[in-house]
Amino acid sequence: MNEIKNICVIGAGVMGSGIAAHIANAGHRVLLFDIVPNTNSEGLCSAQDRSIIAKSAIKKLLKTNPEPFTHKRNAKRIVALNIDDHLSQISECDWIIEAIVENIALKQALYTRIEALRKPGSIVSSNTSTILLSTLVKGMPPRFTEDFCITHFFNPPRYMRLMEIVKGEHTKNSVIDAVNQFCDYRLGKSVVSCKDSPGFIANRLGVFWIYSALVEAFDSGISVEEADIILAKPCGVPKTGVFALMDLVGLDLLPNVIDSMLAALPADDAFVAIKRELPLLLKMIDQGYTGRKGKGGFYRVKTVQGAKVKEVIDLHTGHYAPVKRVDIAGSKINVNNIKQLFELEDKASSYAWRVMSRTLAYATQLVPQVADDINAVDEAMRLGYNWKLGPFELIDKIGARWFKEKLQAENIAISATLEAAVAQGFYKKDEAQILSLNTQGGYSSVQRAAGVVMLSDIKRNAQAILSNPSASLWDIGDGVVCFEFTSKMNSLDSDTMKLLHKSILEVSSNYQAMVIYSDADNFSAGANLGLAMFAANIAAWPEIASIVQAGQQAYKALKYSPFPVVSAPCGMALGGGCEILLHSDAIQAHIETYSGLVEAGVGLVPAWGGCKEMLHRWMNDPHYTKGPIAGPAKAFELISMATVSKSAEQAKSNKVMRPSDTITMNRYRLLADAKQKALSLVEHYKAPSEPSFNLPGPSAKAVFDMTIASYVRSAKATKHDGVVALEIAEILSGGPKADPQVTQSEDEILALERTSFMRIIRHPDSLDRVEHILLTGKPLRN
Amino acid sequence: MPNYQAPIRDMQFVLYELHNASKLVELTGFEQASQDLVIPVLNAAASFNEQVLFPLNRSGDEQGCLLEQGKVSTPTGFKQAYQQLCEGGWTAFNCDTQYGGMNMPKSVHSMVEEMLCSANLSFGIYPGLTYGVYQALHSFASSALKDKFLPKLVDGKWSGTMCLTEAHCGTDLGLCRTQAKPQKNGSYLISGTKIFISAGQHDLTDNIIHLVLARRPDAVAGIKGISLFVVPRNHIDENGESGANNNVICSSIENKMGIKASATCTINFEDAQGWLVGDLNKGMRGMFSMMNRARLAVSIQGIGLCEISYQGAVEYAKTRLQGRSLTGAKHPDKIADPIIVHPDVRRMLMTMRAYTQGCRAFGAWVSQEYDNSIAHKDAKRRKAADEFVQLTTPIVKSLFTDVAFECTNLGVQVFGGHGFIHESAMEQYVRDCRITQIYEGTNGIQALDLIGRKLPEKAGRNLRHFFHPIQEYIEKNAANTQLIPFIQPLTKAFERLQQATGHIVLVGLSKPEQAAAVASEYLKLFGLVALAFMWCKMAQIAQQNLTQDTEGFYTAKVTTSLFFMQKILPQTSALFAAIMTDSKTIMALDEEQF
Repeated sequence: MNEIKNICVIGAGVMGSGIAAHIANAGHRVLLFDIVPNTNSEGLCSAQDRSIIAKSAIKKLLKTNPEPFTHKRNAKRIVALNIDDHLSQISECDWIIEAIVENIALKQALYTRIEALRKPGSIVSSNTSTILLSTLVKGMPPRFTEDFCITHFFNPPRYMRLMEIVKGEHTKNSVIDAVNQFCDYRLGKSVVSCKDSPGFIANRLGVFWIYSALVEAFDSGISVEEADIILAKPCGVPKTGVFALMDLVGLDLLPNVIDSMLAALPADDAFVAIKRELPLLLKMIDQGYTGRKGKGGFYRVKTVQGAKVKEVIDLHTGHYAPVKRVDIAGSKINVNNIKQLFELEDKASSYAWRVMSRTLAYATQLVPQVADDINAVDEAMRLGYNWKLGPFELIDKIGARWFKEKLQAENIAISATLEAAVAQGFYKKDEAQILSLNTQGGYSSVQRAAGVVMLSDIKRNAQAILSNPSASLWDIGDGVVCFEFTSKMNSLDSDTMKLLHKSILEVSSNYQAMVIYSDADNFSAGANLGLAMFAANIAAWPEIASIVQAGQQAYKALKYSPFPVVSAPCGMALGGGCEILLHSDAIQAHIETYSGLVEAGVGLVPAWGGCKEMLHRWMNDPHYTKGPIAGPAKAFELISMATVSKSAEQAKSNKVMRPSDTITMNRYRLLADAKQKALSLVEHYKAPSEPSFNLPGPSAKAVFDMTIASYVRSAKATKHDGVVALEIAEILSGGPKADPQVTQSEDEILALERTSFMRIIRHPDSLDRVEHILLTGKPLRN
Repeated sequence: MPNYQAPIRDMQFVLYELHNASKLVELTGFEQASQDLVIPVLNAAASFNEQVLFPLNRSGDEQGCLLEQGKVSTPTGFKQAYQQLCEGGWTAFNCDTQYGGMNMPKSVHSMVEEMLCSANLSFGIYPGLTYGVYQALHSFASSALKDKFLPKLVDGKWSGTMCLTEAHCGTDLGLCRTQAKPQKNGSYLISGTKIFISAGQHDLTDNIIHLVLARRPDAVAGIKGISLFVVPRNHIDENGESGANNNVICSSIENKMGIKASATCTINFEDAQGWLVGDLNKGMRGMFSMMNRARLAVSIQGIGLCEISYQGAVEYAKTRLQGRSLTGAKHPDKIADPIIVHPDVRRMLMTMRAYTQGCRAFGAWVSQEYDNSIAHKDAKRRKAADEFVQLTTPIVKSLFTDVAFECTNLGVQVFGGHGFIHESAMEQYVRDCRITQIYEGTNGIQALDLIGRKLPEKAGRNLRHFFHPIQEYIEKNAANTQLIPFIQPLTKAFERLQQATGHIVLVGLSKPEQAAAVASEYLKLFGLVALAFMWCKMAQIAQQNLTQDTEGFYTAKVTTSLFFMQKILPQTSALFAAIMTDSKTIMALDEEQF
């Protein structure tokens, strides 16, 4: 197999630079090429720096949000070059990624130059989204076509987990394997194999879906607001709704993408059948209403007398009017009951049915045209278009027979694939595995990539060792258990703590190691604030105090348990969810882990040992400033500002993760990696020894207090930020009796956390903050 | 035969010693409501109710209302009494000065209302409904409609009704069928039949202003298609005077168990002209606002009935001679001791007394917060007060009327066989009381409102305004050794309430039927804790005044408080047990097994 180490990306546009950034995130040096700007007739460049385009692209990356880099320092791994002066450097590259404009002639000209320079066995791939591989390689020599494939990333490359790969007729298997391997392990992508057909999988179906949503909206007279409520969560598609999604992606791309698809597809394709002129869309683009990047799109924000008003376009008149709140019968339906939505038959659900049914029917026509495996289509839509369920999973939820009969009643042609699913559906489960309908009409096992383990696979044919409403404990083999949060949003409550205690006993006597992990998108956003709020509202202070204490005890027991504990976070690990990381022996984190002690944001202080652990880490780093006040000051800064690290790499900088903690790029590999990590710690495992603290005391508190006062004075912090920060300062300075000469125990710091917590949670402004986040999902800046 | 004397001393205690009625003058618009004014006003109300309305109570019950040719005549004397009510300015008591009102605070108004309900509940229904219509129009109607209707509602020349119920819909108003056809001039023609319309037709005023729930022909089905209309019985001419009938006809009146002097009518609207009040299809908003205030008014009815029943029972127990005291004759000069010497009679009297005074205190707390919710200068305080009123409205409605039913029955019991005889006038209170547990939302509905809406709303925020003051009070006074016999039971009951609340909310999330099954018990528990808080505070204040207790008022308060803590509050233990245990049996039988 070709091993990929050195990589270059040619084309420093949005996609090319984003791909380069993510390769840099994976720890690889990457060459980023673009053209020399403004070359005049004599071939002279007006700019002083002939690589200015690639360089500007890197600068732009550093300013982009969401951040393309998992750590800003990764930008240094990208080398900005231009194709006129430096192209020869591709001779050192194992993988050459072409991401230039979608122009066949330009691409082919570039390939010819690449072919002359690249080393034997190197791989060339194109990031094209609209051109067929067979067209791209037309006329290229066999040496090139054997090493060539399409690697289609989605935007933004760091965050979108889908990568479509297209193997050409002549492409060597080893090329595909090498790219596959690299993208899977190093870039964390789910690689889906597609056939060489227009739009591949995700865009073929996704653009059809968006196009139908538009066309049907014009035809049915539904308003944009209504469409965005119904063609959203109830259908398992992004909850913004499809029009808001178009605004986000950019309207100007749409006509081009649709046109290129129409041009490439045969006349009898369903895509061609829904073809319609959309003059309003063209007019909007023409007038600069290209979406959020322009003056607005289907929605716009207008400032009226200083107040911002969100407006929405009327699809028939083209006029904007303030967004109206609409009540729609089916808006609360969960996608798992999507059939109920389609049984309603009012205006909104009929619209949803028209769009979704046509799209799903189209999906059934695309197998085996675009892929042989229905699971590939589902995965592409889940990861490329953020659908909660893929089209075939959706049909199973609706019921294939019911779906078919309803389509037939509307004179829609039924594909052979749908016909084959009528009897038993697209997916079925037996004890050992999930099976999916294959192109022969039989069922084949759904294969995970080698080495991938999901907890759901283990749970399918096992009984939990222990379980309660908030958590479960599973045997994941080789003497390792997995502690899984199962509460709503993985929030933590007294049941979580109870099961943690029980699990520690169980593992101590019967197992070797524990992994804390769940398949959910987010590790845990912390304590169950709804319960806490309720308890606070009924003045159940003793109950609150007891859950604070229970959490401290559970986390402490976890830390000093006689076996290694590895936490495996992904997504959000906030508040109490971050504190459990801090009490683990090691962390195996997905790169997309967002962690921090955010309690201050809701007017509280970390009190499940978070302050204590952060103090310990910042005071005992040999590379950090010495002296009794530097460590507490840094912890104070992070906690009082509710700092969240925006990647696992940043979590290391914030010391939520230790230098020895490790990162998994591919979400699917997180559990397996964490288990390996846990096993590696088993031999000679010794629980950590209790830390002690020499804290600076009231003198440092006075410094913190002054800082807080100046922040509040200069309006950098709000009044209540100041109140909360004072409590945090109280804890981190060690309390009134602290002195650098006096050593305090861990329990003494925990007691300080409890006292401050119980004081601050009784503050009405803190309760207002908690209430606000519960009711609106947004922080209150009071 | 009881004799009514308004409990002015206790009202004064509740307003000015227990609560902060002296601060009413700090609220916007209540600057005039100083104690100097309020006390004489209460005294004036007392004499009016004692001398004019009370004597008409039994005769009104016996005579009832009569429907003849679409006209309803009220019992003898009602018309004159109503004239006096208007002349005394009582209909304008807490109405806006802009429309001729006196703008007195709810805190004071509630006391006057209580007297009215003790003296003559049936009579009180007429001005009570007028006031409800006044409030709805004042909150939601256009200024043109306000100018048209409010002055005459305020001076009592016209009266009002609320037309919600139809034959097939009571609790579920979304089923309402009455139609409102829009007219070119902006008015509507209303057609439909409303039933159970209190004060729907009578001879006290020259016009009756109906508030009617109806739907436009094009409105969506259900609750979201309902609008509120104002429909006068008689057309109103350009001078504002009543003219010909507006196709509003009373077709029958109900023959009822109680409140017989209040006419409960079936009203037919046959293309009657009406006007939209508030926004189209938002009728339920106006309805709820009316309903919430009406529920508070019903809670006051409960207190009124408790008080009059208690007074009757005390008088009888002191004069009825039967048997001798267990500890030897107390009145050897008489043929027998009065029955007040007997512990079981005492038990009944103390129970009535403890409930009556406790409810008065709690009701006054709610009224005070009601005043704060509309007139406090600090917006945050207004909001908090409103949330408190929202929370406690179903509790006081249900608790006070259930308690009133118990007390009026005890009143009959104290009278023994004579209580069962109509002439004693005690059984009327039981019959009159019965409807208070039903109308304006049955007490079962109140309990559901409490657990289903008021508890979970805003992550439990409404609760804060009740639980935090009690918790703070307990923390602050825990060291007060004199208060131990009061504060300890309060604390215990309060902790039970906290636990039960947490339990209800958790169960409510996953098993709403299980939570609903114990809603009534929970409401009672909640109410008893509120009464315990009131009684604890009252005991504390009374203890501070024992040295100057010439009338025995404060000693009696301390003793009654202790009685409440020892003999009534323990009910919370049983209620708690019932709430916390499994409730599956409630829904376990198949429908066929009933």
